[in-house]
Amino acid sequence: MKYQIVIAGFGGQGVVFLVKVLAICAGNRDIAFLGTENHGMSQRGGAVSCDIKIGDFTNPVIDKNQADVIIGLDSNESLRNIAFLKTGGTMVVNAKPDYPSLPFTVARADANAKALQGAFPIQGLNVYMLGVALAGVKDFPFSVEEVEKAIAQMNPKVAQQNIKILQMAMNDCK
Amino acid sequence: MKQTLMGNDAIAWGLIHANVDMVSGYPGTPSSEILSGVQKIKKMLSLPIYAEWGANEKVGFEVAYAGAIAGKRACATMKQVGLNVASDALMSAAYIGNLGSMLLVSADDPGFYSSQTEQDSRVFAKFARIPVLDPSTPQDAYDFTKLGVELSEKFQIPVMLRPVMRVCHAREIIEMDETTEFKPNEGKFVRDVPRWGAVPRDGRFVQGVQQLERIETIAKYNWEHFLKPQFEACQGGELLIITSGTGYGFTQETLKDLGLEADVVKIIMPYPLPAKEIQACFDAYKKVLVVEEPYPCIEEQIAHPKVYGKNTNTVHKIDEMKKEEILKALQKIEFYKGENIYEAPKIDLGFSVPARPPALCPGCPHRDIYYAIMKVFKRKKSVYPSDIGCYTLGIAQGAIDSLLCMGASVAMASGYALADPTKDVVATIGDGTFFHSGIPPLLNAIYQGHRFVLVILDNSTIAMTGRQVTPSRVHRPIDIKKIVEGMGIECMEHHYSCQMHENVDFFKKVKEKYEANTSGPTVVVVREFCILDAERAPDFVPNIYVKVDEDLCVACDQCTTVYKCPPMSYNEKGKIEIDPFLCAGCAGCLEVVCPTDAFIVDENYLKKGM
Repeated sequence: MKYQIVIAGFGGQGVVFLVKVLAICAGNRDIAFLGTENHGMSQRGGAVSCDIKIGDFTNPVIDKNQADVIIGLDSNESLRNIAFLKTGGTMVVNAKPDYPSLPFTVARADANAKALQGAFPIQGLNVYMLGVALAGVKDFPFSVEEVEKAIAQMNPKVAQQNIKILQMAMNDCK
Repeated sequence: MKQTLMGNDAIAWGLIHANVDMVSGYPGTPSSEILSGVQKIKKMLSLPIYAEWGANEKVGFEVAYAGAIAGKRACATMKQVGLNVASDALMSAAYIGNLGSMLLVSADDPGFYSSQTEQDSRVFAKFARIPVLDPSTPQDAYDFTKLGVELSEKFQIPVMLRPVMRVCHAREIIEMDETTEFKPNEGKFVRDVPRWGAVPRDGRFVQGVQQLERIETIAKYNWEHFLKPQFEACQGGELLIITSGTGYGFTQETLKDLGLEADVVKIIMPYPLPAKEIQACFDAYKKVLVVEEPYPCIEEQIAHPKVYGKNTNTVHKIDEMKKEEILKALQKIEFYKGENIYEAPKIDLGFSVPARPPALCPGCPHRDIYYAIMKVFKRKKSVYPSDIGCYTLGIAQGAIDSLLCMGASVAMASGYALADPTKDVVATIGDGTFFHSGIPPLLNAIYQGHRFVLVILDNSTIAMTGRQVTPSRVHRPIDIKKIVEGMGIECMEHHYSCQMHENVDFFKKVKEKYEANTSGPTVVVVREFCILDAERAPDFVPNIYVKVDEDLCVACDQCTTVYKCPPMSYNEKGKIEIDPFLCAGCAGCLEVVCPTDAFIVDENYLKKGM
């Protein structure tokens, strides 16, 4: 398998958490992967993007026109990284309905609005968007069960809540 | 045993599995997690290891190096600009050597992600005449750490490990030792004055001659163990690619993506290189391309008419490695004639994506203090030198005029005050940076009577690199105020307040004091906290969340240009809106910041962490 995912957002949204979950998924199936983080100097509120390359790779960075999927936890951050998405790739994005139309498959959800309505605590935004990716990306490399297992391995304390959010997102996308 | 690790954690495990029992250094992105990783493993397995941050890189290096002289296996960790600070010690250590092992880890940052220069530590190793190892991946980082420790003991000389950010902060499954059977080393200083205390000229001259001989021996070792087997496996042909570090992984992928084949040699030890042996292999090729980052370290050592690289304008000279850059280099030397597959099709969004420039965190006290300083010491009549740390981000508020390197704000305040006495010079420095290198220049300013204001922003942590503890917080607390008073002058003290008028009032007092001072610096310590400091912040943050009264907001830009808190931005109605997901509940903007008092308490704020 060769699969490249960019996860984009800003500091504090839990971008790195998602990379770790996907890394655990790969590890559990004994597939090689390489991941890396890109961020400026900000700790909170600055642009952050992470690359994860699953399969036979020798460097951790995703080049332009190469990513199979971008998971954008923020609308602007998804667009800032759009050059990395390859032709035929999927954009998974947390955005309002006025998100621009793109020459890619787009799986959009307004997770901010959901959280503001109190459907889930805002700290679960990243997991919600991972659920949107599971529902909206046809060739996503991991199954729901694999992702749930990895979430439980990441942090057993909040696993139940996170899995609930993941499933909520998948139901919302039906 | 297989384990998913970040490069820096892999280095930490490598040190443990090489029985390194003294680790010192100074935090700096991308190196910081190495020493904190060792501390975690030490705690987890109750290992007898010294693993502590030094006051600065030079101190960290010297503590570890003395251990290596006394027979311990030691390591010093730092980032590439930190090596500048430690370089005085390194240059001499490279003559003297060690009995135990001395591994220097200097992490580079090609692409300037969080550094003021893009300098190449491999070139520094060459300058100091010590061997350097260049890992490509976290797995290499683990293996080369162990190798470096062994080589240092074998050749009795400090060895450098030079990982770049894409190794330090890369993550992969690595294969490491099954079990940890840690064996600490016996420290025993053996008196040998001609060696440990060599004085110029005779003593050091002898060591200089030995240094030259040693580096030649190591170059031969490099050939026999690392290079010859690789060159012997090569086929010959049109192109030979010589790479090191991340260059190797990027090269392999580019060749695969483009469907090309060429011999690739991975240089494990970029210095010292056996140039003649390597150049003799060029006969089998038409061209040789060197792929490395960020400086042409290998390329210059093996310079030859067939060699292409940065010095021939074939490979990019600045910024980090990209496959696209290798593709372009292959096009330039006419090895690849196809299209640029790494070029993204242009997409017209009809608007430009708004920039998200680096900013202080929501709720960070630095923002309020900068705001108060600028309220009292007006921009037009002031010069604001500042320093390296989170508070550097105050530059977005217009609160900083110049930056140089760690600790420079204090001496530069002296210089500005001497050069332009018509301006009020107000310097800012964090507590970590003050401890690191702010004390000698303050001493200098006091005894020479340089007149300026120095504001020490004390949040009791080295926040930017991941909140390592400062000397004010561990073991025996050291108080900045007493340090300043110990130099014979008063140190004004202020506790940050979320009520802005209190901060402004304090700086009015500072200005009075400064105007009354005819000579010497006026020094202030502001006691703050880091909003991300889980241990201390909850004691300070009032959890008062804010919204905007849209009738009062006149869109004057004050908050978005001078206060600059990330949750504040204009909405579609042209009024300021607070992003409820970003507001930290610090209440700092409720007073003074808005000329029309449009920021009001949001009683119904969606509480975080429900």
